Amino acid sequence: MTNTDTEIEEKLEEEVPGNEKGAIVVHIEHLKKSFGTKEVLKDITFDLKQGENLVVLGKSGTGKSVAIKCLIGMLTQDEGVCEVFGKEVKDLKETELKELRQKIGFLFQSGALYDSMTVRDNLAFPLTRVLHMTDTAEIDKLIEEMLDNVGLKDAIDKMPSDLSGGMRKRIGLARTLIMKPKIMLYDEPTTGLDPITSKEISELMLTMQKKYKISSIIITHDIACARITSDRMVIMKEGVITAEGTFDELESSKDEFVRAFFK
Amino acid sequence: MEQTATSKSTKILEEVGVQMSFMGGFFRNIFRSGFEWNELIRQCYIIGYKSFGLVAITGFILGFVMTLQSIPTMKEFGAVSFVPSMVSISVIREIGPVIISLICAGKIASSIGAELGSMKVTEQIDAMDVSGANPMQYLVVTRIIACTFMIPILCVMADALAVCGGYFGSNISSDVSATLYFNKAFHSVEFSDMVPSVIKSVFFGFAIGFVGSYKGYNSNGGTESVGVAANSAVVNASLWIILLDAVAVQLTSLFVYN
Repeated sequence: MTNTDTEIEEKLEEEVPGNEKGAIVVHIEHLKKSFGTKEVLKDITFDLKQGENLVVLGKSGTGKSVAIKCLIGMLTQDEGVCEVFGKEVKDLKETELKELRQKIGFLFQSGALYDSMTVRDNLAFPLTRVLHMTDTAEIDKLIEEMLDNVGLKDAIDKMPSDLSGGMRKRIGLARTLIMKPKIMLYDEPTTGLDPITSKEISELMLTMQKKYKISSIIITHDIACARITSDRMVIMKEGVITAEGTFDELESSKDEFVRAFFK
Repeated sequence: MEQTATSKSTKILEEVGVQMSFMGGFFRNIFRSGFEWNELIRQCYIIGYKSFGLVAITGFILGFVMTLQSIPTMKEFGAVSFVPSMVSISVIREIGPVIISLICAGKIASSIGAELGSMKVTEQIDAMDVSGANPMQYLVVTRIIACTFMIPILCVMADALAVCGGYFGSNISSDVSATLYFNKAFHSVEFSDMVPSVIKSVFFGFAIGFVGSYKGYNSNGGTESVGVAANSAVVNASLWIILLDAVAVQLTSLFVYN
């Protein structure tokens, strides 16, 4: 581990409860969320354990993304419990929420790269703004290491508009992982990609999870991605969880709705 | 009917509340640590330097056209010698700041609205937010401050070019020396004419930056909302400029010219 790694680890490591393997890092219980008269989350309950990859599978519009947005404080639930590292997210103060967000990585569906910046600046942004790193040599070293991890070292000075969809996702993943998060939230990471790139991204997610010992929640409706990445899966239907288990258990389920995903 | 009126007024009040909260966020973030100086300079360059060409041409033609249009009428009254004073006073006091700010509202507010709107739609602002960075400080504060600083500078430069345009306009119909023209033009202008003009252009600049940022930052939905954000940024910023000007004229009439 380099000095830079150690420095970031120290900044992020401070007293994270549930750091031991198997401990519950995310706890969601009876979560409810409505937008106007539309009840999107009706009753969601699940946990995420340390080092685990949890895949949340469901049709579009069933509230999968809403659930993880509650986890990171982008949305506030109407009812229920939404705890990360033992802390209720909606009760956190602004500074506490900011601290929590440093421990959680969020990969958006589109990659959400900053259009006006090069790949280098995209990756440097959280380091300089959030971790307040100033040493450019250290920053460059970290950026190169992270780009090497996602196999895109040559793209360092490219603009996001010069990258393909798959490359954008990889860079997005690198930008998130550069903060060394404890939990990763993936919002449909393989949507819009061809099957080969989709498989590459899924394998990359798994590699990164093992390398950095991250717990992940993966929102998807891509069964191939779920097969590669999942330790455990939950299936959502119209705002409620209808099934839970490993990939193999759910694949052999007799429930027609569950089976429909595996056809 | 009554219910519709109530829901409309509730929506208006909600909108006002959101705008006030956005403005509060702007002022809070100015004084937070980690001010984005580099981004502010970049925005000043984009908003100021890159608008200079348009503003310069507009200012020059404004003075030029005004002179050409007023000379025949002034001739009828035998008051052609007052044309330089008339052009300089009207441009500096009123027309310069208002026209240049309206031009800037079209160019800058729409650009800010569209840029932030597309960042919102493509989840770039959310990505900044969830990473623990402060998008308000990086995107909004820098743009509003850059507008507040650069619009008055652009207005002053446009005023100067309008007076030059007036000189060229005068020389088309008659032969006036530069010394005589500029002497006449500046003799009638006082410091008290410049100050209210600069002060109101500061407010115009703030309105352009604020409205553009607010509309872009709060755009919702798909790509259509980017166009809506850009469009409503121009319309609202222009409206604010005209309203602020009406207030500024009343205040200067009361406290300066009286």
